[in-house]
Amino acid sequence: MAVSQRPSHGGEAKRHERWLKDRAGAVKGTLMLATGSGLVGGLALIAQCWLVARVLDATIIDGAGLNEVWQWLWPLLGVFALRALASIASDALAFEAAARLKRTLRDQVMNRLAALGPRWMEGQRSGEIANVLGGAVEGIEQYVAAYLPQKLLSAMIPLAILVAVLPLDWVSGLILLVTAPILPLFMVIVGRGAEALNQRQWRRLSLMGAHFFDAIEGLTTLKQFGASRREAEAVGRMADEYRSATMRVLRVAFLSSLVLEFFATLGVAMVAVYVGFRLYYGQLDFLPGLFALLLAPEFYRPLRDMGANYHARMEAIGAVGELAPVLETEAETRDESEGETQGDAKDETDAAAQTRTARPLPSDPIRTIRFDGVGFRHDAANEDGDGVESVDLTLARGECVALVGPSGAGKTTLAKLLLGFLAPGAGRIEIDGVDLREIDVEAWRARLGYLPQRPTLFAGTIAENLTLGAPNATPDEIHAALLRADAQGFVAALEDGLDTWLGDGGSGLSGGQIQRLALARTLLSQPEVLILDEPTAALDGDTARRVMAGVHSASANAATLLVTHDIDVARTADRLVFLDRGHVVEQGTPAALEATGGAFARFALLAEEGAA
Amino acid sequence: MTDLLRLLKLFTPYRRWMLGGIALGSVVILANVALLALSGWFIASMALAGLGLQTIAYFAPAALIRGLAILRTGARYGERLVTHEATLRCLAELRVWFYERLEPLGPAAMDTWRGGDLLSRIRADIDSLDNLYLRIVAPVTNALLCGIVIVAGLAWFDTRIALLDLAALMLAGAVLPLLALKLGDAAGRGLTEARAALDGAATDTVRGLGELAVLGAVTRQRERVAGLAERLIRHQRRQMWVGAIGRALSGLTANLALWGTLILVIPRVAAGDMPGPQLAMLALGVLASFEAVAALPTAFAAFGETAAAARRLVEIADATPVVTAPDPAAARTPARFDIAFDDVSMRYRDEADWALAGFSLTLEAGEAVGLVGDSGAGKSTILALIQRFREFQAGEITIGGVSVRDIDDATLRQTISVVAQRTHLFNASIRDNLLLAKPDASDDEVREALRLAGLEEEIAHFPDGLDTLVGEVGTRLSGGQARRVAIARAFLRDARILLLDEPTEGLDADSEARVLEALGNLMQGKTTLLVSHRPRALAFVGRVMRVSKSDLVTAGS
Repeated sequence: MAVSQRPSHGGEAKRHERWLKDRAGAVKGTLMLATGSGLVGGLALIAQCWLVARVLDATIIDGAGLNEVWQWLWPLLGVFALRALASIASDALAFEAAARLKRTLRDQVMNRLAALGPRWMEGQRSGEIANVLGGAVEGIEQYVAAYLPQKLLSAMIPLAILVAVLPLDWVSGLILLVTAPILPLFMVIVGRGAEALNQRQWRRLSLMGAHFFDAIEGLTTLKQFGASRREAEAVGRMADEYRSATMRVLRVAFLSSLVLEFFATLGVAMVAVYVGFRLYYGQLDFLPGLFALLLAPEFYRPLRDMGANYHARMEAIGAVGELAPVLETEAETRDESEGETQGDAKDETDAAAQTRTARPLPSDPIRTIRFDGVGFRHDAANEDGDGVESVDLTLARGECVALVGPSGAGKTTLAKLLLGFLAPGAGRIEIDGVDLREIDVEAWRARLGYLPQRPTLFAGTIAENLTLGAPNATPDEIHAALLRADAQGFVAALEDGLDTWLGDGGSGLSGGQIQRLALARTLLSQPEVLILDEPTAALDGDTARRVMAGVHSASANAATLLVTHDIDVARTADRLVFLDRGHVVEQGTPAALEATGGAFARFALLAEEGAA
Repeated sequence: MTDLLRLLKLFTPYRRWMLGGIALGSVVILANVALLALSGWFIASMALAGLGLQTIAYFAPAALIRGLAILRTGARYGERLVTHEATLRCLAELRVWFYERLEPLGPAAMDTWRGGDLLSRIRADIDSLDNLYLRIVAPVTNALLCGIVIVAGLAWFDTRIALLDLAALMLAGAVLPLLALKLGDAAGRGLTEARAALDGAATDTVRGLGELAVLGAVTRQRERVAGLAERLIRHQRRQMWVGAIGRALSGLTANLALWGTLILVIPRVAAGDMPGPQLAMLALGVLASFEAVAALPTAFAAFGETAAAARRLVEIADATPVVTAPDPAAARTPARFDIAFDDVSMRYRDEADWALAGFSLTLEAGEAVGLVGDSGAGKSTILALIQRFREFQAGEITIGGVSVRDIDDATLRQTISVVAQRTHLFNASIRDNLLLAKPDASDDEVREALRLAGLEEEIAHFPDGLDTLVGEVGTRLSGGQARRVAIARAFLRDARILLLDEPTEGLDADSEARVLEALGNLMQGKTTLLVSHRPRALAFVGRVMRVSKSDLVTAGS
């Protein structure tokens, strides 16, 4: 529908278009060739009209027979072929230009993502960023492949036609010359009016248009309130209001096409009538007159075609709105994502730490990790984030510390701080006495193993997924890791075993299987620091016990931070830190904490009641 | 195809609009063909008259040329308005029709068709059917109508030219586009797959960036994405070639038709069998006639997608509801509000495993019971069964001793209110969202409900108070606020049975405390079933029951 496209703000749209044009500069050569082919097609068209005019002139005026006009009819076939080839070449070249630009943009986005890293991603909506890599890059294709070449051609071809017509028939040339600039001018004026109207009404229209889908999405809720039957009437009423409101907008919006059509059609009619009368009074020869008439509709055609490409421009502008922020404003988005950091660490970003103070790790293997008064607050917009405040804790090699507490206590935040995905706003995290912020990111990551709450498996075979972090793992090592993650059984039961192909996000496997494979992948790289966020969330009790036994045997020499709200899992840890609302409430061995009857003991009791 | 026809039948009330749009569309095309043909004839005649070779009454044709130009312009504007009016009317009809068919299917339909995917699919399908008239019916009918008129007109002057033009129109308008479509189809399937693979990899990359970084595998994933992007471009290139060659050949066909016309007519003119100006007229007319089929390639391309959309929508619309309503005569209204599940078993399909097997639970009126258990253990099924969103195969569920199967829909809805993790808030004002529960509630009642839900003050701070739109930028409700709006709805509803489906899951500690406080008020005196894992929420119920697929164990406390 004509009004479904959101009108963008004039200034912003212009900025986005300029951004895209700058990027398209990289494929300028190919685009020029595409435009050149289009121009060859346009010139061939002029030649075609000339040849046809010659044939008709000879036949009608001079009474020539077929034999006398073959001299123009044969070349005409050649011109036809040339036009067809030029059209194909122009399409193909424009496609290649767009393809190359898409490739470049995609590379840049990937580089950006890699450079910005997971810390930046923390503040982003992952769906939107994923769309940048997929849909948004595709969204520029039509702009580059169709709009840009067409835009140039819509100026060049009418100009070429004018140059051909003017010397032969200046009156017709003048008619074309006068109507040509009026056309875009009127379109701009009418278009402005329509766009202003659109902007005012767009929100209302889109709300009304979306009402139906809102009703379907909320069907369960409507049912629960006994309101679903009633809603059918509202769907009809809203669709009807949508119609009348849309038509009010369209009546104005279509005026621009009315103006275009009016001048284009009238231009042709005027050329015909004026040529006719001058022929009648002997002021003009038939040949140039007919030539002008044949070219008149072609003169307006590129201008009309531009209208069809308007959509491509709007789509591209929308796509740039998604692309540009990722590619451009890295410093700003980074600060934003860190939110209201409290301490002086505000500008100590990943990259800054890397370039200025990156230090290798002080010891090999890592002996002690210490959280010293660590605080972090998410910004208000990030609803799921749970901050932490003045957290002190230590984690030594060979030790497993469980972070326990109700959801929202800040467990995952602490894990992400240790991962370096978040930077502490207050206090510091020390690795064998060295501030984590000063340590080279890559070096630190190489020591880590990380299993997030909802791990990601990638499209590929199970074996490829397992060896992502340890490309040189031997079959024995893979087997051992699978055993420890209690995944050996179901992998062996699959027809293709380790070579089983997994879809995106591990589709084809259950949540528990994905979690166990991801755990095996984490264990396979034999990390010195193991960070497990709810490793048993998708597992039943028995499997969870086997998996935890495997984790402990694999991590005898590692420092393990285990985030969990499962009491049974927590009891397997050497030490337990109980968090509530971002504060450490108590810590000690699980047995001691249960004996003292504190927060953890109450928490365990509640859970037992629920889980009995 | 039959599905499409069936949907088209829905639109019969608007046939005047639809036919009007088609008529105007044909006028637009025919006026242009006539304009160019007449112009050719006119200037050739004027030239001959200027040379004294013939006489001409020039006033009428000159006026006709101008008249045709204005007719085309006016008809064009009218056509666009009328076709859009028709489209929007059909759209309204289609939406009401579809909604009325989806509504009785209820939430069960929403789960069956692959959950969240269903909505986006329906959206895309409805969108493509919205354009059924504008993109397919109108252009195809116009092409047929204008094609017939043009060919008939040409036949009046020269049958051979008429046949030549007919063949060329069919080649350029139907044969070549359909051939391109067939060739493009195979490429199109690969294209869809390649795009899906790339999108999937992009999602995985972004979602798993943390893991990739820790595993040191970012570069490997980057190469993978680049490879998939290349594959997509290869498929797009193949499709581009098909399209580009198809367009070029269509253009070539029109030009060859012109060439053929010249060769066929020139001997007649030379022999004096036909006046010269008619040659100019036929040549220009044949060339202009291709406007009639210009919109066909797009229409054909849209056809497959639209037919598939129609098939899917009709399939949903024709599904039978999983739950049948009681006979109105036999319907009974419960007088008490105790609930009993007696040895209830349920499965989603005949061949599927039991989703719930031999489940029994009794709640006294006013009692609150918590349900816990692993995901997939059947907690949601229990809630769906008592709401009659799903049918059970064995056992019995009663409210106040009356089987839920015998309670009519309106009564059941009045009896039960639900606060769920995923309660839908409509994109309307907060007031409208609340009034859903009680359309005739007074402002005081609404305010009281908000007060009890602990929302009164927060809403008062919104720019438009109760009239603030839920989705309005800058005033988005937080998760906790949305949950409390749902609780306020339940207060307004004042049903005697309360189902709480993970009411505080996904909330931070502060919001949870506030939501629980409101829930505490709401639960007073109501028979309550609470599904939750949150210890603080479970503290509100007298008894917690663990649901598991294999064995169902009750635990008192």
